[in-house]
Amino acid sequence: MPSSGSRHGDVPAFLALDLRFPEDGSIVSVDRLSIEPGGRLVIFGPNGAGKTTLLRLLAGVLPGLPPMDTAYLPQHSHMFRGSAGWNLSLGLDAEQTVWARTLADRFGLNPDVYLDPARALSGGERQRLSLARTLARPEPWVLLDEPLAALDVADRMSVAGALVDSLSGKGAIIVTHDREEAAVLGERLAVMVGGTILQEGPVAEVFSLPVDDRVARAVGVANVLDGVADGIEGPLCSIRVGPLHVWGLGDLGGGAAARVLFGAEAVTLFAGHDASAGSARNRWPGTVTVLRETGRLFEVIVDAGPPIAALITPGSREALDLKPGAPVVLTVKATAVSVIPR
Amino acid sequence: MSFIGDVLSEALQLLVQFGAELRAVIWLTLVVSLLATAIGVIVGVPLGTALGLGRFRGRTPLLVAVNTGMGVPPVLAGLLILLLLWSDGPLGSWGILFTPQAMVIAQSLLAIPIAAGVTAGAVGGLSPVAREQLSALGLGKATTGWVAIREAWPGVAAAVAAAFGRVVSEVGAVLVVGGNIEGETRVLTTAIVQEARQAQFGAALALGIVLMVMALLINGALTWLQLRERES
Repeated sequence: MPSSGSRHGDVPAFLALDLRFPEDGSIVSVDRLSIEPGGRLVIFGPNGAGKTTLLRLLAGVLPGLPPMDTAYLPQHSHMFRGSAGWNLSLGLDAEQTVWARTLADRFGLNPDVYLDPARALSGGERQRLSLARTLARPEPWVLLDEPLAALDVADRMSVAGALVDSLSGKGAIIVTHDREEAAVLGERLAVMVGGTILQEGPVAEVFSLPVDDRVARAVGVANVLDGVADGIEGPLCSIRVGPLHVWGLGDLGGGAAARVLFGAEAVTLFAGHDASAGSARNRWPGTVTVLRETGRLFEVIVDAGPPIAALITPGSREALDLKPGAPVVLTVKATAVSVIPR
Repeated sequence: MSFIGDVLSEALQLLVQFGAELRAVIWLTLVVSLLATAIGVIVGVPLGTALGLGRFRGRTPLLVAVNTGMGVPPVLAGLLILLLLWSDGPLGSWGILFTPQAMVIAQSLLAIPIAAGVTAGAVGGLSPVAREQLSALGLGKATTGWVAIREAWPGVAAAVAAAFGRVVSEVGAVLVVGGNIEGETRVLTTAIVQEARQAQFGAALALGIVLMVMALLINGALTWLQLRERES
């Protein structure tokens, strides 16, 4: 039976759910889900993990939990018969509608479309409209199911940044299966596989230090580093992360707070400290601190200032003769590094 | 000239003359049918919307009642209203038996289940995505219903057309509670029965043509609205 624990306002600080749905046999079983008021929790996991079911339960679309004060953005936005402007105002009063238009503007929705039939809007326009409408609602919590999935890849990061800014103190639970989206939208990350949450913690920690194989397979091992932008060169920008300058794809400049994201599989290791092979822009010396088996591969954590995770094959491990304390040089192609505003 | 040809020619002659009697019958038919359809729509469409959106106690028995009501023979509906309005009946004091009011009540009883049943089908057929979005909007019950009706508009327009078709074409209920009194409760269908019984085939056919034209015009208008909305 579902139950909810101690509550902040109308939203539980933790939930305990154990539900079976006879229609599709899917199960969501969550022992504990910690949510800080005003915080952003990303529920991350592969398709079919139960993320959407969990969100529907919290939204009250599926029965089982006591009603909560939430605004819900379903995974597929539906436009009702009528103008786009009318659709934007559904469920909102006059003041909230004005706010929704402001938000839609921030998300890049052209105001000229408001007189058009809503069904003539593109997928991206529909999503921007639905997102603005959801965030303009007065509830202190928002539940967003794949909020950026319908957008063009080129637009996702700018909308994501506007989305985070527009939450203005509201708590958010955001479902996604995209690593980059999770990194930019989330403060904390809960990894959901097979209806249960396997790991929950700060985004960078969960991505770089998965607790077990199942989490590692679900999220992939990734490096998420926070720093400050300090230079632009063509399509690349440089982010200072502790002693490192990390070059990646992006256009942040002028001391902007930034987050860099690259997969552990994008990191190449060279033995010793004087390797000069390759053309990678990012080249950092470091020392192996951790070496562990994850399924068929090895995960190596290198202290290069910040800890950097790399994935290598057993053959590479032997060839490089890696062990804790060994000196190495890490290289990462700048094109494999995403830079996102923080 | 053949028999059919004679009947047709007489019918056309009557239509061209368009006498006072014919005008009175057409007028009463329009008033009674449109009022009954309006009551059927005002009660039936919200009822059907609630049934289509679902999830409340008593929904299933109500749905069974509506579906059964769609098939009730008009003469039986007329009989029920006759018993209620009979001088010794529970509503006998109203004194409206054999008046157009009684005919409107009897025909509303036929229109409500049709309007409700067809609307329930249309609203219940909204996509799961539309339904989830609708419940996510946090709207009140009335607004939710209104958005659902707008969304299912082509089906709801079909419900209106079906309700009108049911009442304008039926003869049993209006005959039983109206009595087919000339100049008072005679409508197109009961007049056709009357003329046919008296072998006045030309007059009967003329009335039939009027009935068809009336149905064509009203359904044409509804279809136009249906298609126009579908394209938007």
